[in-house]
Amino acid sequence: MFKRLFSILTLSAFIGISLPTIPSQAATTYPKRIISLSPSATEDLFAIGAGKQVIAVDDNSNYPTSAPFTKLSSFTPNVEALIAYHPDLVVIQSTATKSDAVVAQLKKLKVAVYIEHTPSSLQGAYGEILDLGKVTGNSNKASALVTTMKKSIASDIKGAKLATPKSFFHELDNTLYSATSGTFIGTVYKDFNLTNIADAAAKADDGGYPQLQSEYVIKANPDFIFLADAPDGETLQTVSARAGWSTITAVSSKKVLALPADLPSRWGPRIVEFYKFIASSIK
Amino acid sequence: MRILRSKTGGEELRSIWRWELTLSAALLLLIVGLLGISFGPINLSFSSIVKSIFGSHNALSEQDQSVLFDIRLPRVILAALVGSALATSGAVYQTVFRNPLADPYLLGAAAGAGLGATIAITNSHQNVYGLLPIFSFLGAILAVLVSFFISGKFFAEPNTLLLSGIAVGSFATAIQTYLQQRHSASLRPVYSWILGELTAASWSVVSWSAIYISIALFILFAIAKQLDGLMLTDEEAYSLGVNPNRLRIIAVIAATLATATAVAASGLIGFVGIVVPHLVRGATHRVTNRALPTIALVGASFLVLADLGARTLLSPAELPIGVITAFVGAPFFLIVLRRKRLVNQ
Repeated sequence: MFKRLFSILTLSAFIGISLPTIPSQAATTYPKRIISLSPSATEDLFAIGAGKQVIAVDDNSNYPTSAPFTKLSSFTPNVEALIAYHPDLVVIQSTATKSDAVVAQLKKLKVAVYIEHTPSSLQGAYGEILDLGKVTGNSNKASALVTTMKKSIASDIKGAKLATPKSFFHELDNTLYSATSGTFIGTVYKDFNLTNIADAAAKADDGGYPQLQSEYVIKANPDFIFLADAPDGETLQTVSARAGWSTITAVSSKKVLALPADLPSRWGPRIVEFYKFIASSIK
Repeated sequence: MRILRSKTGGEELRSIWRWELTLSAALLLLIVGLLGISFGPINLSFSSIVKSIFGSHNALSEQDQSVLFDIRLPRVILAALVGSALATSGAVYQTVFRNPLADPYLLGAAAGAGLGATIAITNSHQNVYGLLPIFSFLGAILAVLVSFFISGKFFAEPNTLLLSGIAVGSFATAIQTYLQQRHSASLRPVYSWILGELTAASWSVVSWSAIYISIALFILFAIAKQLDGLMLTDEEAYSLGVNPNRLRIIAVIAATLATATAVAASGLIGFVGIVVPHLVRGATHRVTNRALPTIALVGASFLVLADLGARTLLSPAELPIGVITAFVGAPFFLIVLRRKRLVNQ
């Protein structure tokens, strides 16, 4: 009788041990259920052909329009809401609120995470495209995209780079917040040999987004004004109406340009369109 | 002729406080806790939760089980701890300062903690959330200490302490605002911390906050009976054998410890410390400080419910928990104010 019991016990132990555990991600299986919590990463993913692997994007990812738009927040990610989609990869920005804690919790739940750091230059933007290509199994398309972008940007710069530098003011909102050359968007202007009047105030904010005084902008007399707040209603008319601004070169020569929505705040594949826009504006 | 019978000791105690009230508060906490664990963007059924807790491994899928044990449970427990800490220290401050509008953030604790948090967020570029609790804890404690020192003497009058607390709070807020302006990238994380969030709850946070909060609550429950003496004038208190100055110091230290821990764990969650003591006192028609354990339990339930709302009302986004407690607290104030006016007329 004991022999029988013993054999039953060993048999059940054997079965118990050999029961399949949750299979860990093999190195060659690529994620099929990606959630993107970054508008730039969403654009990257769809441009490198990983669009069909994406199941949800955050509420700010409005391009491409075919992306699976949801109410997930890119700024304040909610772990439980993410888990409800059963993702196998989550792309999250390092600047999201409590991103460390969210990433730690996702890792505990065995969900792969790609942390996107805000790039400070084009190299960073290209690096992100290549990373996403590697992670999603679209490396070839990613390198091809980067090559195309580099070519397009190089030709735009060659065609429009100024022989003598001119100054500009990049306006983020009508309280005169601006971006210095230390930011990603600042480097785009620098490539065209444009001088940023906000650089004088670079020490006022370590993030590179100081608020300028109206007097200073008038005195600096920029040759171009780029309105990133055009979607909020700022135009050449509203800018010229500001006290003292009609004397600024940019205003009097009507070089106050409304930037297209979203382009100045993203570092995805559409950065080439931003370069084209600047190139055509300063010719 | 009516025969007047003096109450026996036990009856007299019962007329001051009844243990059934504490028990029902504990029961309320249990029910609310179960509700809190089961609802969220992922809903888990009661029966599978209970089975999982008692060891069954296939009542829930592995991911759901991880959600339950690694995310939900610590969060609900942290909400209960923070709620009890804030409610109890609010009640104690109301007694010590003889002011029904006192809250646990008096004496500059909130502003000090905010400054500490801002310094942590603007100075560390990785592992902010390791430093954040320490800095905000120290900030709260230091602010209260400075309030004591600038009020002149350690055994200062409550009103003088209040005024120095306001001064310290204003100064700390000014520094914090300046730092935020110089580091615009910190605006969002600091603002979100100020609104209070339990998102970063994990077992490690629960463990250290449980230790400090338990110590503080233990001290406060132990002196609860004597705290009733602070409701009288100082001379009357002395004649009853209570040393009001020493008692105030102990009470404020313990309450500040509880508040600083709560703030370090979850940011500045307002209104719990004012609303819950009044709620319990109003519902039970008792102002005694023997109600402190009940106030702690009701505070815990209140915050667990508020956190449930924070997680479900705007799902999948999260509503900051401070917004919910303010929505409940502000109308509550109006009701209390109206009642007082009607009573005083």
